Amino acid sequence: MRIKDLHVLPKFSDGWSYLYVEHCRIDQEAQAIAIHDETGKVPVPCAKLALLMLGPGVSITHAAISVLADHGCLVVWCGEEGVRFYASGMGETRSAVNFLHQARMWAHEKLRMKVIRRFYQLRFAEELDPELTLRQIRGMEGVRVRETYARASRETGVPWTGRSYHRGNWSDANPVNRALSAANSCLYGICHAAIVSAGFSPALGFIHTGKMLSFVYDVADLYKTEVTIPVAFQAAAAETDSLERQVRMTCRDQFVATRILKRIIPDIKTVLMVHKKDVSCDSVLFDQDAAAPGALWDPEEGEVEGGRIHPLGTYEAGEDCGYHDS
Amino acid sequence: MVIMILERVTPGLRGELTRWFLEPKAGVFVGRISAMVRDKLWDKACRRARDGGCLMIHASDNEQGFRIRSWGKTARAIKDFEGLFLVRV
Repeated sequence: MRIKDLHVLPKFSDGWSYLYVEHCRIDQEAQAIAIHDETGKVPVPCAKLALLMLGPGVSITHAAISVLADHGCLVVWCGEEGVRFYASGMGETRSAVNFLHQARMWAHEKLRMKVIRRFYQLRFAEELDPELTLRQIRGMEGVRVRETYARASRETGVPWTGRSYHRGNWSDANPVNRALSAANSCLYGICHAAIVSAGFSPALGFIHTGKMLSFVYDVADLYKTEVTIPVAFQAAAAETDSLERQVRMTCRDQFVATRILKRIIPDIKTVLMVHKKDVSCDSVLFDQDAAAPGALWDPEEGEVEGGRIHPLGTYEAGEDCGYHDS
Repeated sequence: MVIMILERVTPGLRGELTRWFLEPKAGVFVGRISAMVRDKLWDKACRRARDGGCLMIHASDNEQGFRIRSWGKTARAIKDFEGLFLVRV
C-alpha cells in the first residue's frame, strides 16, 4: 500500500534517530517490515524511523526497501571498514521549493558567502567580525576543533595524538579514532536523512564542495564538537569489547539530550535564510496529491500554470481560448 | 499516563491494582500516577505475578517518548536495539 498523502507521516523531529541491525534478514511483513533472525521476528515502525543502518550480514528484500523508501526512512549499508552506501527514497515532501531555494543561494556568489558565514556563526558563541576573511574564519574554526579534542582528552583521560585513520584497514586505527568514525557515521546518517526529508539536496554544499554528500558534511560539522567528539572520547574511555556498539548507544543518548532531531531542519533553514512566507502552498498540495501538476517556468511571468494546453501566441485573461485539461 | 498489562495473574493482584487504575479490559490497567507510586506498583506486580507475566508502558524522557518494562512469562519479549526498544513476536 503506497502512501498517497504524506501528511500521515510523523514529522522528522518527532521520529526516532536510528536503528542499527546486523546478521538478520529484513522483509516485508503484513503491510509493514520486520527483522527476522533465529530468535523470531521484530516488526519495525519504519514511518517513525529517520535512519536504518544495516551492518554486516544483513539481507533485505526489494519489498522492504520499497516500504522504507515510501516512508522517507534513509537506508544506510555500513561496513566495519567505514564504507557506506546510501539509499533514499523521495524524502517526506514532493515539493521542490526548498531545493530551488538552496540552488539559488548556492549559485549566487555573494549569497553563498553569506550562507557560509552563517554556517560558521552558528558554531561560535560570539559574533564573528564582518571584516574577517574566510581564511581567517577557517583558522579560528581549526583552533576551536583542536581545543575541543584537547578538552575531551583531559576530561576522559584518553590520550589524543590527532585524527588519523587508515581507510584501508579499520582495526589499525586507535580506539578513539575508531569511535570518532563510528559516531560520525551515525551523525552523517541523521543529517542526511533530515536533508532528504525536508527536500534539500545533499550534494549542493556551501563550505564543502565536489561530493554528492557535500551538504551533509556542512550540516554535520555544526554538531561534531557538541555531540560526536565527546561521545567518542567517553566510549573510548569505557574500554568495552564492543566499542562501536557503545558509541552508537551513547550517540542515541546524546541525540536525545541535545534534541538534535528537532534542531537540524530549523538550523538548515536559518543558515539558508528560508523564511516561512517563502513556503508556497504548492508543498501542501503536492504532499497531499502526488499527481497534482506543477507549474511551467516562464522567463517573463516566472511561472505559468501547468497541466493544461496553452494556446499559441498571447491570450487575454478571462478569454476563452478553448484549452482544456490534459 | 501509565498502562499495565497482566497475563495469568491472580484475581487478588488484579483487584489490588484497581485501587489505583481503571481496568477497561481484563488484565489491562490504565491510570495517571506518580513515578514513585508507579515503581512501587511495578515491584508489587512482579513480586506477585508467580507464573504470569507483567508489562508496563509509561511516558519517559527518552527518544521513543515512552518506556516498556516486561517481567515473567509474557507472550512477547521486549528487545533492546542499542537503546531503541522493539517487540519480538
